[in-house]
Amino acid sequence: MADPAITKLLQTTMDAMAVGSLYALIALGYTMVYGILRFINFAHSDIFMLGAWVSFVLARALGWAAPGAVAPVWAGPFAIVFVMVTCGALGFTIERLAYRPLRSAPRINVLITAIGVSLLLENVGQLPAAFGTQPQRMPTLLPDVALAEVGGVILRSVDLTVIGVAVVLMLVLEWVIYNTKLGLAMRAVSTDTRVAALMGIPVDRVISTTFVIGSSLAAAAGFLAAMKYPGLNQPAHSTWVLLGLKAFVAAVIGGIGNLRGAVAGGLLIGVVELFGAAYLSPHLRDVYVFSLLIAVLLFRPAGLLGQATVEKV
Amino acid sequence: MSTADPLALRSHALRAPVGLAALRSLGPWAAVFAIAFVLERLIGPYLPGYYAKVLTDVGIAIVLGVSLNLVNGFTGQFSIGHAGFMAVGGYVAGTVTYYGHHLLWGGIAKQGGFLGASEWLFVAGALAGGIAAGLAGYLVGLPSLRLRGDYLAIVTLGFGEILRVIIQRTDDVLFVPKDIEAASFTTLATSVGGALGFTGIPFLTNLFWVAVAVGAVLVLSYRLKHSDEGRGFLAIREDEVAAEAMGVPTTRLKVRAFVYAAFFAGIAGALFAHEVGTTLNPRELGFQKSFEIVIMVVLGGMGSISGTTLAAIVLTVLPELLREFAQYRMIAYALLLIGMMLLRPQGLFGIHEIWDLSFRRKKAAP
Amino acid sequence: MSGILEVDRVSIAFGGLKAVSDFHLSLPKGALHGLIGPNGAGKTTLFNMLTGVYKPDQGTVALEGRRIDGWAPHRIAAAGLARTFQNIRLFKELTVLDNVRVATHARTRVTVVGALLRSLAWTGEEAAVTESAEQLLGLFDLASRAHEQAGNLPYGDQRRLEIARALALRPSVLLLDEPAAGMNPQEKIELRRLIQRVRDEFGLTVLLIEHDMGLVMDICENITVLDHGVVIAVGTPHEVQRDPAVVEAYLGTGH
Repeated sequence: MADPAITKLLQTTMDAMAVGSLYALIALGYTMVYGILRFINFAHSDIFMLGAWVSFVLARALGWAAPGAVAPVWAGPFAIVFVMVTCGALGFTIERLAYRPLRSAPRINVLITAIGVSLLLENVGQLPAAFGTQPQRMPTLLPDVALAEVGGVILRSVDLTVIGVAVVLMLVLEWVIYNTKLGLAMRAVSTDTRVAALMGIPVDRVISTTFVIGSSLAAAAGFLAAMKYPGLNQPAHSTWVLLGLKAFVAAVIGGIGNLRGAVAGGLLIGVVELFGAAYLSPHLRDVYVFSLLIAVLLFRPAGLLGQATVEKV
Repeated sequence: MSTADPLALRSHALRAPVGLAALRSLGPWAAVFAIAFVLERLIGPYLPGYYAKVLTDVGIAIVLGVSLNLVNGFTGQFSIGHAGFMAVGGYVAGTVTYYGHHLLWGGIAKQGGFLGASEWLFVAGALAGGIAAGLAGYLVGLPSLRLRGDYLAIVTLGFGEILRVIIQRTDDVLFVPKDIEAASFTTLATSVGGALGFTGIPFLTNLFWVAVAVGAVLVLSYRLKHSDEGRGFLAIREDEVAAEAMGVPTTRLKVRAFVYAAFFAGIAGALFAHEVGTTLNPRELGFQKSFEIVIMVVLGGMGSISGTTLAAIVLTVLPELLREFAQYRMIAYALLLIGMMLLRPQGLFGIHEIWDLSFRRKKAAP
Repeated sequence: MSGILEVDRVSIAFGGLKAVSDFHLSLPKGALHGLIGPNGAGKTTLFNMLTGVYKPDQGTVALEGRRIDGWAPHRIAAAGLARTFQNIRLFKELTVLDNVRVATHARTRVTVVGALLRSLAWTGEEAAVTESAEQLLGLFDLASRAHEQAGNLPYGDQRRLEIARALALRPSVLLLDEPAAGMNPQEKIELRRLIQRVRDEFGLTVLLIEHDMGLVMDICENITVLDHGVVIAVGTPHEVQRDPAVVEAYLGTGH
């Protein structure tokens, strides 16, 4: 009955929203850290990878990954909370051990450290004692049923859950940033760290909190990504870095340091990538994303929602 | 004020004697070629293949590290896509020599011996590869170097990825002489093996050309460091705003440093593509390779030519000695990077050369 | 348009806040002009506009009759407008000599190819660059420190090196941004002599931002007073000191 052209359009839109909201979740962490500390946290994409892998290891440990096993109803919510807490703690630790000692060092040193942390997480993840070098298949922890059919597109509950959870998390973050004392402190530190410190804001604690929040969002994105795409690549596989990189591109495109910009950028990247893949060529999806980045850098370097800043001389 | 101006550049009055100047200009090159000749003709024949390969790998690593040092060390920018330029150089050079051999001589058998026809085709291919990589560097550097420094990191990484996708989409290598002769230039340039890699490239890399490339990158970057333009690079790294205020065209110089570095990465790619026992494939020249080059520069000292050279040697030889610990290699690199930034962020030698340090210590003693 | 530096109705705003409005200044060749005003009056912002770091929203800047507003900072510097910075911005890891030699970049003619070949022309030019830089360091009593790292110099020497570096551009106009900041009285006396000496020996025109009123009143022929981005007084030190608007700007109303 349904027109195949419309079906394709709706299906692509659906996928673009799901993938875009994952990018948005990861991009939030990049943009928050950049907004405060002004460096690209390369290890952020590895937190995302760990979100997926830790949820796999958890599922395996609880017997949900065995052939024929069916996870209980609470498996999904439990797993997402579990990875958010563990990865949040990891983010806290990384900031404490690797970045905080470099608070007054040149930014390039912090950037190099971040690359070091990223390589460390990936390659420790590859050790046999951790996740090993084999790709794995994530068991289904969320109910995956066809809810309805619209214009020939099957609305799968997993897609809606991915989008729904991402939206809820983003709304919570938005509320925290703009309606709580913590959010006010974060905004103050991001505007001017030195002045914020003089005003009695505990800068170190705010930065730690930022890392915890950003890391737990990336971990949630990792879990959701593993639900939507159950084939998990090995920890040091370039797909993880690449996904993280595209999320960073989303943050830059939206205007680095701008939370709503990160969300908008994430969705835009999802649209560009999936529509490009569906209507132009499926092999060049990364090319579309990076071309968009170059275009934005050339014509609107502060990003779509960002403001041009003036360097103090 | 024109006659008494103490600031005028009176260059005519200060020329060095011609003979001495010629020696300074050409001497290093004579030394480079002499060393290269000795390595290839006098030592090479007695060197077991394995050692020759390690030596070649060391040479390629030096070219990569020292060239990246121009950007990440001298100019203080941060590129993490050096392997991408290496790939451009390797593929262009490989295309020139592989199809060149087929079209000129009907097969990939080496023509002529040492410094014979095949080797000159190789040199032409390597230069073409270097120039192509330099052009790619210009296209990548121009938009990103105008902006905040760390965007370059993202754009160079993205460039490497785009390149990988494009190379993976290329067609299989042609090997039937009839097909090659019938093919257009575009067909040949896009038949470089796709995801499987570019196989069949003649093994033309030898110690002579590796040594020449190493010598060239060392001599040229040393001369650059001690020239007007090199001082401009260093000034940008120290303080971009002040450099601009002192008349240094910062964007132009940043792009130039990036293009020089890309050129040498292209040359290194050409050497790599023609090395015995390597296959040029897009996966080999990805993030990981770029990170390894970054690590050499960071360890050796950002700005130190000799420090980077030393780091390139150590980081190439050490993994050979520690083969059984291969899976811990990247972990060790990662810890090294983090530890270095926490304990000695300027790298082993910082901006200085190895010989500067001993000299300074002597001076500081009394 | 007879002055060497002509600034006409220059304004700039940051996010709705007018930092400098309708600034006017005309400096005859050889002038030593002071620019004073309370903190945040827009003095450094003005320097940043003149040197191209910020682009003025409106107005024109002309150096020796040539419009330079909108140019990139390095072009403006090469055209003959040099500056120092309020918070010293030396190339800390480079030697004292190299700090000065960097500033000759705009005047060298031999291309990088010559440098890579170590051509005769390059050798000659490099020697000339070095010689002129050493002479300049000699004038500033820094010759003996030529091979030290700039970041290791004592504070007063760093201030002087910044001026020496700016002079290596061979400018026609020199902008000094609080050169006496952090100096002790003895150093200030020496600085005063130095400023007058470079003005006379190099035929310079100097525009000086300074908080030390003693120094400004002493050496400047004319003074412009800025407050909240607006010129509130122009005149000789004597006139400016008696201007009620200036007194009010510095001391606040009610005095």
